[in-house]
Amino acid sequence: MRAFLPFAAAAAVLCATAAARTHETNPFGSAEDFAVGKRLYRVNCGVCHGMEGKTGRGARLARKVHRRANTDAEMFDLIEKGVPGTDMPGLWLGEDDIWKILLFVRTFEKTAEEPCAAAPGDAAQGKDIFFNRAACAACHTVGMGGGRLGPDMSFAGASFSREQLRVALVEPHRDVAERYRVGRVETQDGKKREGVVMAENGYSLFLMDRSEETLGFQKAELKSFQISRESLMPSYAGVLSAADMDHLLAYLCSLRGSEKGAAQ
Amino acid sequence: MIRSYLGAVLGVVLACAAAPAQVSYGDLVKAQEQPRNWLNYHGGYSGQRHSGLTEITPENVKNLRLKWAFQERMSEKFETTPLALDGVLYITVPPGDVYALDAETGARLWRYSRNLPPKLIACCGLVNRGLGMLGDRLFMATLDAYTIALDRKTGRLLWESKMIDYSQGYSGTLAPLVVKDKVMTGTAGGEYGIRGFIDAYDVETGERSWRFYTIPGPGEFGHDTWAGDSWRRGGASIWITPSYDPELNLVYWGVGNPGPDWNGDVRLGDNLFSDSVVALDADTGERKWHFQFTPHDVHDWDATQVMVLFDSEYKGEERKLLVTFNRNGFSYLLDRESGEFLRAGEYVKQDWAIGIDEEGRPIRRPGKLPTAEGNEVYPRVAGGTNWMSPTFSPQTNLIYVTCGEGSSIYVKGPSEYRPGTRYWGSMFLNEETSRDWTGAVRAFDPLTGKKVWEHPLFRPTLAGLVSTAGGLVFAGTSDGFFKALDAASGEELWRINLGAQIIASPISFGSKGRQHVAVAAGGGIFVFALP
Repeated sequence: MRAFLPFAAAAAVLCATAAARTHETNPFGSAEDFAVGKRLYRVNCGVCHGMEGKTGRGARLARKVHRRANTDAEMFDLIEKGVPGTDMPGLWLGEDDIWKILLFVRTFEKTAEEPCAAAPGDAAQGKDIFFNRAACAACHTVGMGGGRLGPDMSFAGASFSREQLRVALVEPHRDVAERYRVGRVETQDGKKREGVVMAENGYSLFLMDRSEETLGFQKAELKSFQISRESLMPSYAGVLSAADMDHLLAYLCSLRGSEKGAAQ
Repeated sequence: MIRSYLGAVLGVVLACAAAPAQVSYGDLVKAQEQPRNWLNYHGGYSGQRHSGLTEITPENVKNLRLKWAFQERMSEKFETTPLALDGVLYITVPPGDVYALDAETGARLWRYSRNLPPKLIACCGLVNRGLGMLGDRLFMATLDAYTIALDRKTGRLLWESKMIDYSQGYSGTLAPLVVKDKVMTGTAGGEYGIRGFIDAYDVETGERSWRFYTIPGPGEFGHDTWAGDSWRRGGASIWITPSYDPELNLVYWGVGNPGPDWNGDVRLGDNLFSDSVVALDADTGERKWHFQFTPHDVHDWDATQVMVLFDSEYKGEERKLLVTFNRNGFSYLLDRESGEFLRAGEYVKQDWAIGIDEEGRPIRRPGKLPTAEGNEVYPRVAGGTNWMSPTFSPQTNLIYVTCGEGSSIYVKGPSEYRPGTRYWGSMFLNEETSRDWTGAVRAFDPLTGKKVWEHPLFRPTLAGLVSTAGGLVFAGTSDGFFKALDAASGEELWRINLGAQIIASPISFGSKGRQHVAVAAGGGIFVFALP
């Protein structure tokens, strides 16, 4: 095989026509069907979504609630047609095969963590903490408000479990996404700057600093630079009381992209 | 009569201007001695991808300017190598178009567009790497597994020969090689359970002259290197233009990986001629010799790297040599007349082999096969290098190679064959390891394998190289830079950001007495010259 991005373009042709869906719910369910679906998943989906639906560059499938599709019919259509504008291709398999893949994919949900639990805590107080007392909004957006430095939290409750959010608050360096790597540079005159890496190529480096200024550097002109996998976010362990932590988590779990202006 | 006299004179003048010289086999043999034109994928039969043009030098390359760009809407990777003849560039545009462009201005002279079926099968993109040329004809291998001939002046289809049924996973992506009266192509599709082959067609009629199966059938030499009936669908595809020695009349084909890629249990044995170079008689397709780089490959390390031919004294004897930098992390020096193994050496970090024995066979390191859980192995799945062209400069006697450093996680899984679908035997993971990948352009002494210089790259790249007699090496990067390096030192002398990944190998050609350099990037062809 030639290269390492075979997926988007791999319109594997088994059936001459796309699978037309003739059911609203998955008609398959036997152990044999499951085994076929598992095998097809490994060959067609696992490269991006991971063998347990948890890793890779595709969407995380090990969750109770999916972002783009949830009913059987929605899931089928997504698998069949793909997601335009992403690397998720449509799958040129017959209807039966897609249903069997879905049968296997559904098992990931059983091992997924619980959806974001609203209790305990008071979301209204959490909102105050987010926007005022803890100043989370200095770096994070909800809807149309907030900062640009950290991840957009408009969908936090639909995207993460309560436990994942708690860990992110107390151990922010544990799992930092590629997009939020931190660059630290020292210029020839000894000035040190740091920020989230906006762009990098062989010659230049662009950072967004804490004031949301975009800083551009030519690597050859720097005294030194390094890219860290740590987060710019501070830990809130011991900063927030247990009760305030519950309030904040309750608020975050309430965020489902329904705020006015939030990306859909 | 005056009028008819004038008409006759004008007619002669127009005929001279409008009729480019016919490209003969003799021109192809001496292609490197006619550096104004770029007559085949490699710029010559030797595979050296070296231009004899000298106008652009280390001293003046800083003045190099974009002369024109040609752009096309494109969602596919643009891997074409242009051919250049008498002021016209001929390019393929994925998935199935051919264009003639005026070399001075980029103006489109004609376009051929192949009516392809809607659902093609290609592992790694609906790509095409270029054309072959002879007389006033152009030749192309198509994604629907045809070899076709076009009229060079108009793009009109002259003939098409079906190689095989594309719906079974076969496709054509390489630039054909033309030798004498034959055009040679082969089939891609090594991830779909195909049985690879190389074809030769009559340039005039399109009739097939011979076929060589890269997986031997029953009773043929090497058939017993495939367990059971795995030979029927063992891959061994062909997707890069071979090199050719006119004196020996041998064509040197690099053969692709065996399938299923990462699970070799159903195909126990060495799996000849996967991951090999096969030297075929150009007239008959008869195999003269072969050399296998990676017996029983389970890492997807095709041997579809360019086989570079050069002559040199080696250990006190004048030899006809072949050097290649293989995807498996080793470079190899062979006698191209006999196939004798002369030397191998590591050129990137690898940990799958303890070394190469005296016969040229790798001594595998235990514990480095793919596993169900995944096993980290160097080099990465894309290899120490890949299909992008290296270049050999007869001026410096160095070979220049685009290298990638890093590892992949190789996972072994089930491998059930279903016609026309992926036959992979699981997969690979790059998610974790790719963060540490780096790239480089490196210069090596081809006789010793010793590295002479290195120019580091930000990331690995699938862009190839061209060297020039002016003393330069042109290179591309995955972050969109096209650059000129000093062939002697590797120092970067010039660069431009073309705004998109370069996944092609550059060329150099002459037009109106000036040297030009051309490369495909993103959805465009970019042509450079001095002011």
